[in-house]
Amino acid sequence: MTLMTRDRFLAIVTLAMVAILLVESGSIASKTSWQPYGSSLFPQILLVITGLLATAILLKSFFKPSKTSSPHRSFKEVVVEKQKIILLFIIFGIYALALSYLGYLISTLLFMVATQALLLGIDSRKKWLINLGTSFTIVPLVFVVFRYGLNIWLP
Amino acid sequence: MGDTFLQALIAISDPFTLLLIVIGVLFGVVAGCIPGFTVTMGILVVFPFTFTMDPVSSLALIIGVFVGGYSGGMISGIMLGIPGTPSSITTVYDGYPMAQKGEPGRALGIGTIASFFGTLISIAILVMFGPLIAKYSMNFRPWELTGLIVFALTLVAGLSSAALLKGLMAATIGLFITTVGFDRNSNLRFDFGITELSSGFEMLPILIGIFAFSQLMTNIEELRNTQGTSRKSIDTNVSIPYRQILRDISQRKLNIFRSSIIGSLVGALPGTGGTVANFVSYDLAKQFSRHPERFGEGMPDGIIASEASNSAVPGGAFIPTLALGIPGDLTMAILMGVLILNGIQPGPLMFEQNPILVGSIYASLFIGAFVMVSCQMVLVRWFAKISLIPQEVLVPVVLMLCAVGAYALNNNLFDIWVLFAFGILGYVLLKAGVPLTPLILGVVLGKNLENQMFRALELDSSWLTFLTRPLSALFFALAVASVLLAVMQHRKISRSQKSQAGT
Repeated sequence: MTLMTRDRFLAIVTLAMVAILLVESGSIASKTSWQPYGSSLFPQILLVITGLLATAILLKSFFKPSKTSSPHRSFKEVVVEKQKIILLFIIFGIYALALSYLGYLISTLLFMVATQALLLGIDSRKKWLINLGTSFTIVPLVFVVFRYGLNIWLP
Repeated sequence: MGDTFLQALIAISDPFTLLLIVIGVLFGVVAGCIPGFTVTMGILVVFPFTFTMDPVSSLALIIGVFVGGYSGGMISGIMLGIPGTPSSITTVYDGYPMAQKGEPGRALGIGTIASFFGTLISIAILVMFGPLIAKYSMNFRPWELTGLIVFALTLVAGLSSAALLKGLMAATIGLFITTVGFDRNSNLRFDFGITELSSGFEMLPILIGIFAFSQLMTNIEELRNTQGTSRKSIDTNVSIPYRQILRDISQRKLNIFRSSIIGSLVGALPGTGGTVANFVSYDLAKQFSRHPERFGEGMPDGIIASEASNSAVPGGAFIPTLALGIPGDLTMAILMGVLILNGIQPGPLMFEQNPILVGSIYASLFIGAFVMVSCQMVLVRWFAKISLIPQEVLVPVVLMLCAVGAYALNNNLFDIWVLFAFGILGYVLLKAGVPLTPLILGVVLGKNLENQMFRALELDSSWLTFLTRPLSALFFALAVASVLLAVMQHRKISRSQKSQAGT
């Protein structure tokens, strides 16, 4: 069975993206008499080069498989291994969303408490003290520096 | 030149600007001494605080971080045996054994003084060669500039990791990102009907997203891998033996000079940076030493070579960034982004149009070196304590500051989404073995490459002109040569790996 290695996955995703973007580049305004090369030429050159490089990576993965690549793991294994990273990205996504609804102070406090709880753990009083102490010091401090020191309004 | 430098010194000597240099240096040392935090991350964190400042003040703060950061990396290296930044790896070789022998103050003092001289010598090289190269490059026309940018990208892609194809692909992806939004002829490209995309991506959220997220997530992963191993405790009660350090330094003037020159030269080459300078000068110091067998056991020469060279890197790296508008490494690419966001386009014209700003960069580096040496000597025991801040606390704080920085740029929440999207992209690409430095360089140079290329074609519609103009042809030839050289290098490495596996 042909394995979906890291390099093959990268190459296939890149080729798919290149194909979509090349089609999209067709809708860019075409060249005119005063603009003989058109606005789509530069991105098209880049897309073609990217496509060629991705093809080369794909071919190389069959002829010269990388020796440094880690052993094949199932999707579930990867998710378990990267659990904290995935959760951190999800929390950041929720934070970005919450900023527009809850504003800087509340959403950032929640973000800081949640991420530190994830990374530090919640199994001791000391960890909670560090978590809440850091969050309730730094978040208002940053707000004051930006709002009153730099005159920048945070959401 | 003298007048400009004096005017720049006057501009810098404003108490607020001096305070910014001190804050920058202090923050830089802190950023450098926390393992995994890096100088680049330090610059990205302080950058949002410069949005409302004038260019001289914002550069003073950022250059302070630079100077402090490159010297701060030695603290955790000497005290914990963990280099704070990649450019202080060889400091650990002799600094840590010296500290283990009960002389941490001597190791830190030698490193600080070597860093100080390294910075000063690199400033002298920058002041001498920066304007010369800028003057010469004033003759560059769009064809030459196109060739130069292509050469810089291929060189960095070839050198940044063992994966040449992925490095080149990262560079083209970086260049492509800059094509989103209105182009120079006001035609809309790749907006996919999203109004916010019509003005293109802001450079800062992209840079922060790609670099900071990948770095922070990697730190978290390393944390997971080292779970279970006990955190080192250190004795931060450090006393500095000033006389001994002065003796050590005065006996090794040649080593300081040689290592600083190496650092400046390596810094000026695209794609190299502090780590390469560090190893080259350490190796040379060992070769020139009367007691090479003592290296690795706490030799002052080892610390001097390492610290003088890595602190000389920024001065050297400023030469191509300021004179040609071509950043040589990741940190300089970020710094160039900072300059562009301040409305300053680095390049040969900068020396003519903004001489005081260029002078203020020299002056900030110069003052920063003095501030760095004073701060390190007085506060070193506190810095050693700071290097123990856990990543579990640091990562959320930095992520929050990244989000605030991205937002504060234009008071636009969309930029936080851009940051998030490029954060995911940067992390995924890193995990796929794609080097991120060419990607970031592509983002920084993309607009300029397109502008220069089409300006050339508007002046002369023939593509062949890129190859018939001698300098332009030379840069393209160098670009091809750098790719071929990287291919040969990779083959050599894989052959030696095969033969090692065979034995």
